Amino acid sequence: MPTYPVSLARAYRLSRWWLASLVIAPVLALAAYDASRVLEAAAERGPRVVEQAQALVQQIDRSSAQDELLRLRDMNDFFNRRLTFREDIVTWGMPDYWASPLESLDKRAGDCEDYAIAKYFSLVASGVPTAKLRMVYVRARLQGQSLAHMVLAYYSQPGVEPLILDNLRSEVLPASQRTDLTPVFSFNTEGLWQGTSQVTAGDPLARLSLWRELVAKVKGEGFL
Amino acid sequence: MSLMRQISWLVLGVVLASLVGAVGLSALSAQQLMQTQLGLKNADNAQSLALALSQQGGDRELIRLLISAQYDTGAYEFVRWRGIRGETLFERVGVAKSGQSPAWFRSLVPIEASPGVAQLSSGWTAIGSVELKSHSSYAHDALWLALRQLLAWLLGVGIVAAAIAWVGLQRIRRPLDAAVAQAEGVLAGSYGQVAEPKVPELQRLTRAMNAMVQRVRDLFEAQAGQLLVLREQVHHDPLTGVSTRQHFLAELDAALQRDDGPAVAGLVLVRLRDLGQLNSLLTRGGVDDVLLTIVTALRAYPESVSGCRVGRLNGGDFALWLPAKGVAAETAHALSHALRASLPAFGPGVQVALGAVELPREQPSSVWLGEADAALARAEHLSESRGGFVVEIVADPGVGREQGEAMWRGQLQEAVAKQRGRLVEYPVRDRSGRVLHLECPLQLQLVEDGEPLSATAWLPFAVRARLTSAVDLFAVRLALKAITQDGQARCINVAPASLSDTSFLPKLRELLSQWPQAARSLLLDLAEAAATDHFDRLLEVGLQLRPLGVKLGLEHAGAGLAQVERLYQAGLDYVKLDASVLLGVAGEAGRAAFVRGMVIMLRSLALKVYGEGVVDEMDAQALWDCELDGLTGPWVTASGG
Repeated sequence: MPTYPVSLARAYRLSRWWLASLVIAPVLALAAYDASRVLEAAAERGPRVVEQAQALVQQIDRSSAQDELLRLRDMNDFFNRRLTFREDIVTWGMPDYWASPLESLDKRAGDCEDYAIAKYFSLVASGVPTAKLRMVYVRARLQGQSLAHMVLAYYSQPGVEPLILDNLRSEVLPASQRTDLTPVFSFNTEGLWQGTSQVTAGDPLARLSLWRELVAKVKGEGFL
Repeated sequence: MSLMRQISWLVLGVVLASLVGAVGLSALSAQQLMQTQLGLKNADNAQSLALALSQQGGDRELIRLLISAQYDTGAYEFVRWRGIRGETLFERVGVAKSGQSPAWFRSLVPIEASPGVAQLSSGWTAIGSVELKSHSSYAHDALWLALRQLLAWLLGVGIVAAAIAWVGLQRIRRPLDAAVAQAEGVLAGSYGQVAEPKVPELQRLTRAMNAMVQRVRDLFEAQAGQLLVLREQVHHDPLTGVSTRQHFLAELDAALQRDDGPAVAGLVLVRLRDLGQLNSLLTRGGVDDVLLTIVTALRAYPESVSGCRVGRLNGGDFALWLPAKGVAAETAHALSHALRASLPAFGPGVQVALGAVELPREQPSSVWLGEADAALARAEHLSESRGGFVVEIVADPGVGREQGEAMWRGQLQEAVAKQRGRLVEYPVRDRSGRVLHLECPLQLQLVEDGEPLSATAWLPFAVRARLTSAVDLFAVRLALKAITQDGQARCINVAPASLSDTSFLPKLRELLSQWPQAARSLLLDLAEAAATDHFDRLLEVGLQLRPLGVKLGLEHAGAGLAQVERLYQAGLDYVKLDASVLLGVAGEAGRAAFVRGMVIMLRSLALKVYGEGVVDEMDAQALWDCELDGLTGPWVTASGG
């Protein structure tokens, strides 16, 4: 029977995969931030991104040793400095696109939610608990105009007034000093992947919202 | 396990496996889909609820009202509002509905959807999160219903597939069974051909088997042809074609010994007188013509009546054996008339004398020949005084019991009904003297307290009264009883008349099935005539009886056997060679060669060959040298022990 060695080899290969997945799976489940994977993902995008990513990885490394307020400021500055505000329709050719931190660094541009996203995941990577961070839809009044905007809010304690990380104003300010912003709705990754996270991570049906799709993408890039 | 059964199980296994596989796989994927969708629904509902709650400015009552409204209008297991430290601020919880699906199904295929969680805020202030989970029972119900429908569909498809497979298997099975039947037939000595099937593999197999069978047939026919030639040379006078003196005497002895002949028979001797003088009167060829003319007249009898025998005893002496009562005188006169009409053409010197005798068959052949010779001598004596053609007849055997058929019939029926009969036993032994089986002719006590009579006495009447089948069944019953007692194989003669009785075979089968064990040790002798004249009946007997373990054979088989064209199809177990071909084998190499040829031919058909009516040791030795499987006859009975 000629199929015998082939099927045996296949079984062996399969069992190797199986063994490998047994070893890796818990690591993946536990692994939060992984600098080497971030760099790998960046390398796939090209040398320009690698440079940016290395800077980001170094920033995250530095930040993780600092206290959280300092982290907020550094990370806020990092992205406010490196990214130029540009509408998604110009950058990506579509009216609304939620980019991952590496994608934004690749284009060196982003709109309000891209700033918030990049800061959110970089801070989480540096060790800030997700419960302390929220993406907030706000109504911003800018030069007498009202526009839809998104910022990142940091709650040092549950129930206290948050600090706001924004690209409209470069400094990190308490919410009370941001009278130009009216909060509408907030969200974060809390509870997003609970229960059957492993199963749904690769499930195309589970990525039905922009947020979920983004989180899956960022996970793949090693930030979560 | 048979091939067909293996294939059937395989097909059933494949159908079942695909059925179970399809249902299982479908259940699994449906479960995954349901789980994901339910989880997403939970998340989306939590998100939209949170969106609404975040717009209430942190008004607790309003938030509770909205949560209650969401819970009441939807199908939720719970909707919960947690504070910023994870404590429950408000919740609506209901008992899980059981739904329509059975509990075992729910535990076998669980649908564990993750609850949806969304963050609440009032202005910049985080006011906790909302958590909710939908009922999964309706998902179970949908899954249960879908799976049942799927199962019903697949069962239908499976049944259709199994039916198609069954039809396909039958198509293979028929030619396969035919091939197996042919192979078994070959094993049992029946060389039949079958039609070639359309399945290529089986077609090749069947073609090979048919070719093999054809080769065996050709071989057999060639052997039979050679035997016919040999028989002509050994048994027949080269000039006239009738039996030689030796062969005729053997035939006469055999005819006298056999138990199914008439009680009284006749013998006519014809002598062409003064052969030496004729030789000088006529040319050599002229004498031959005279002899041939006489033989032509004599030959009319064996050609029209079976059992008649004609032989050339020497020179101008001929003999005609008539196996019937009261015809000797008539025949002698008819012959004399015929010769009187044809012979004078050869000249005045041609003179013929005829002597006829009619005697009981139990008289030995020496008495028969002596009486006939005496009658012939008287005829010659008369012809010396009268000249020309003379017929002398001694036709008063003194045994002609003039009894009515009705009386015989009554006596026979009574004897069978009251079981007044017994089996006489004559052993058939192999070379080492071991008893192979006992030949058991039936003796009937026709009159109460009377002498048991052998078949010679009553068989002709039984044939005429159509009672042979009842008598044969009686004999078989006696034999089966005897076999049950001592386990010795026994052999019973079955009259040809019984075979043409349509009720005989079913009754015999029934009788045999009552003694299944004993039936395996039973042998049934059929006359050679069964093979030559009633071949289809013989095939039928073989088909019906051999499965019961009964062995079938031909008795009194002689030269006629070589003429049975389809002997290779008959499916017999043994053949008993007639005394007429065996007597005197020790003295004549040609006869022995014929017997040896017969044995080789019959062996090639996987038949056992036995010899009948062996009377002396010389013959017995010669027959052992011809490699017969067993012998019977007076010498065997006397020498055994």
